[in-house]
Amino acid sequence: MPIKILTTVLAYLCIACMATAQASLKLPKTIKVDPEALTSEPMCDPKIPASWREAQVIEGVQIRESQRCSPDNPYLIAAAVKGTNNISMGTLMETALSPDTIIKTDDMDGDGDPDRIIIKLEVMELNGPSPDFEGLIPTFDIAPGIQPGAWVFAPKTSGMSTENFESVRANALLRLPSPVIRVEQGDIVQIVLENTHYFPHTIHLHGVDHPFSHHGYGNDGPTQTSEMHLMPGEKRIYEFQARQTGTMFYHCHVQTHTHLAMGLVGMIIVEENRPNNWLQTLNVGAGDVRHPSVAIQEEFDHEYDLHYHAMDKELHEIIQKYNDPRLIARDMNRRYDLTDSTEDYFTLNGLSFPYTLRESMIVVEPDQKVKLRVLNSGGELLALHSHGHKATITHYDGIEHNPIAQITRDVFDLAPAQRVDLTLNTTNDGLHSYDAGVWLFHDHREKGITTDGMSEGGSISAIAYKSFLNEIGFPTGTHAESLDSYFTKEFYQRKLPIWQDLDEVGSLGAPAGRSRIDSIDPETRTDIFNLIYGLLAGLILYLLFVKRQQAIQIVLSMTAKLKGSKGSANNE
Amino acid sequence: MNKNLSVLFAAILLVTVQAHAETKADAEDHSDHNIDHSMHNMDHSEHDMDHSTHDMSHDHDMSHHDGDDHGIDDPDHAGHDAEEDHADHSAHGHGHHHMDDSHIMDHEGGMIMGQNKDKLPSSCDSISEEIEITVHAGKKHAQEFPGTTFAFDQREWRVKPCTKITWHFVNDDEVRHQFMMHGLPRYLYQNGMFHLEVTGPKKISGTMIVPASDETYLVHCDISQHMEKGMKGQLVVGNGGEDLPSIPGFTPYTFPDTYPHEDLPQVSDKDNEDTIIEQVADFLDSTPFLSGMLIIGLLLGALIAPLISRIMALRKKDEIAE
Repeated sequence: MPIKILTTVLAYLCIACMATAQASLKLPKTIKVDPEALTSEPMCDPKIPASWREAQVIEGVQIRESQRCSPDNPYLIAAAVKGTNNISMGTLMETALSPDTIIKTDDMDGDGDPDRIIIKLEVMELNGPSPDFEGLIPTFDIAPGIQPGAWVFAPKTSGMSTENFESVRANALLRLPSPVIRVEQGDIVQIVLENTHYFPHTIHLHGVDHPFSHHGYGNDGPTQTSEMHLMPGEKRIYEFQARQTGTMFYHCHVQTHTHLAMGLVGMIIVEENRPNNWLQTLNVGAGDVRHPSVAIQEEFDHEYDLHYHAMDKELHEIIQKYNDPRLIARDMNRRYDLTDSTEDYFTLNGLSFPYTLRESMIVVEPDQKVKLRVLNSGGELLALHSHGHKATITHYDGIEHNPIAQITRDVFDLAPAQRVDLTLNTTNDGLHSYDAGVWLFHDHREKGITTDGMSEGGSISAIAYKSFLNEIGFPTGTHAESLDSYFTKEFYQRKLPIWQDLDEVGSLGAPAGRSRIDSIDPETRTDIFNLIYGLLAGLILYLLFVKRQQAIQIVLSMTAKLKGSKGSANNE
Repeated sequence: MNKNLSVLFAAILLVTVQAHAETKADAEDHSDHNIDHSMHNMDHSEHDMDHSTHDMSHDHDMSHHDGDDHGIDDPDHAGHDAEEDHADHSAHGHGHHHMDDSHIMDHEGGMIMGQNKDKLPSSCDSISEEIEITVHAGKKHAQEFPGTTFAFDQREWRVKPCTKITWHFVNDDEVRHQFMMHGLPRYLYQNGMFHLEVTGPKKISGTMIVPASDETYLVHCDISQHMEKGMKGQLVVGNGGEDLPSIPGFTPYTFPDTYPHEDLPQVSDKDNEDTIIEQVADFLDSTPFLSGMLIIGLLLGALIAPLISRIMALRKKDEIAE
């Protein structure tokens, strides 16, 4: 009998081998990920009122049209222009600013605009941990599902850090990057830093004309030379009256090698002093300046603040790993080694592609002159490239370059901390512009167009002509791919075969995986299964036949037992 | 909800109109503000901006409080910092802004939301008692809890059902803090919240009435990471409900950190001859003689001693028997 079993097993193996050999001639099919299986989000946040995009006047402040998916809150612009002390409570309530966030008073030179400006900033953590649940709070996605822990200078707010008690999403004022500050040449400016964070911080006004100290307090930021650490719960006033104009920036100067990358860095722009020059003191989220200064309005059709930044994933995870500030300090100050780090996330105005399309496209029309103020706050050189256009570098680090020597080119290199002002001319002359369209505007270090190595991501944006945008400010792109797949977490989790829909058959999609048994084509497989069932059935029948005496006995005893138990039950 | 909104909207409109009028008035006498600062006089002496009193230590009067008015201390502006002096020029001046009976905000962001002085929760027949509680908030109250940054000076409050509580919230820091309570009945408190907020050092007060049911309410500061880093407490009404996690000194973290030993440099004791004596002295110094553990040790000793002696005695007996 063992010999019989052996022969049957051998026979089975032979058949199986033959079947496999035949099947390996056919490779597995392409499988497609069903869009239904993805966590899709709308390209444009439906909560944003369409009216925010329109040109309008609030509190007497002219606010330009902003034809993009996520325009700046026009009430916030009005508050930033007039000051939170000069607007109605109704307007203020639309902004969530504190009533003392921007105080504008005293027209000292009598030219029709306020010259004493007080700006209150707090330090806010985004995507931080909680000892009570495993998620993060308050959350801020730089791309779908990408939530690096970050710190920002935020305008002083009122109320909750989240949208509401049910939501863990940060309120609109708490976001990357730290806001762009605009002041006028000669304004007496006080930046009041209220340290609401659990670590010490300071402010360094990089490139801005400021005294080394004032009233016996340090005013420059570094704790080694200028001032003491501003501890949690404390506030400090930084004061200056800038004599020179230009695109500058500000950042924390405590443990700068990590605090700057964590997000405590923003642009600060000193504008020319002009009559009736009510500036948009804060440009939250940077980008489109919807109420430009008098000098900019005279010369340009649009002005955009473009703040490029980069982050190392490992650094930004530290604050999410622990709740105890001492452990965070240990890892950030002593264990993290910046010299061994690599940058993983690349952002423009705090966001990575595709979110850059929501708010940071450079929207233009033909024959316009556009002012671009660019800051690189990343740790490496930036190589910005403008498709379809050559722009002119007018200023380096806020200083005007000799007009005769100004360079017009299509790759703009910015060292870390560097600022350049570009003039983009959209005249279609084959030099400044080649044509109207939606032209990419991106870092040409190719990692800069990735999010943690996944492309397309990073700081990709575009120079977009208005006629190529739909009513919610997205490229109409009739002959371009659908952007839907970028608005899914799975894309950046590398779970979506990005070429699966390029053609009908999915020739470059993902192949179905297969195990040995899967590799056999379905018909042969059923044949083999039938054979195995047959064999099993035969074996059982054979056994029953050979051992029939014992089998009968077992059956008899079983029935007897059953009857017996029934009988006893009846008796009782 | 809709009703609430419309009331709020109406109130906002009123305030808007009022503020508008104020702005106009301000604009009219703006000529007076033309202080003789020459724009072109930009030498560095100008940086010494004419605020000689730059005292960081505010001398606000914390004690006086007009409880039945708006509940916001009218601060003595003489002691304010420079930037707050500027604020005085503003259209808002010292005025308080009422958006609603239950939503009040002053010009510095001091805020009372969900105030309820007289509406009885449906579960209450009457107010059981009226009490006042003063809560301090700030960095210094976190000092006794290693690994936290901000805290309230008390972290649990126990009250009878249907108590009317007037909270005096004193912010001892120079930044914003909040006293925010959640889970209250929504027909009385918008979004179920009672909320005091103020930038310190300053006090703000508000009144509320708790329902009759045994319940534990979350109290926290919602500024990013303030609750997580210690500023959390609970209000226990009656017998209360379940305790909330991660209240400093009261309840453990749900997801605690781990603390591996770190090999940090230490002062070596070897070259010191009377080390042992010093160590003993240190030990005696640092260990209070009548600590709880010492007493427990004494008790245990007293209990075990007779047992041991009995065992010894038994053994001896056995030996003799053998």
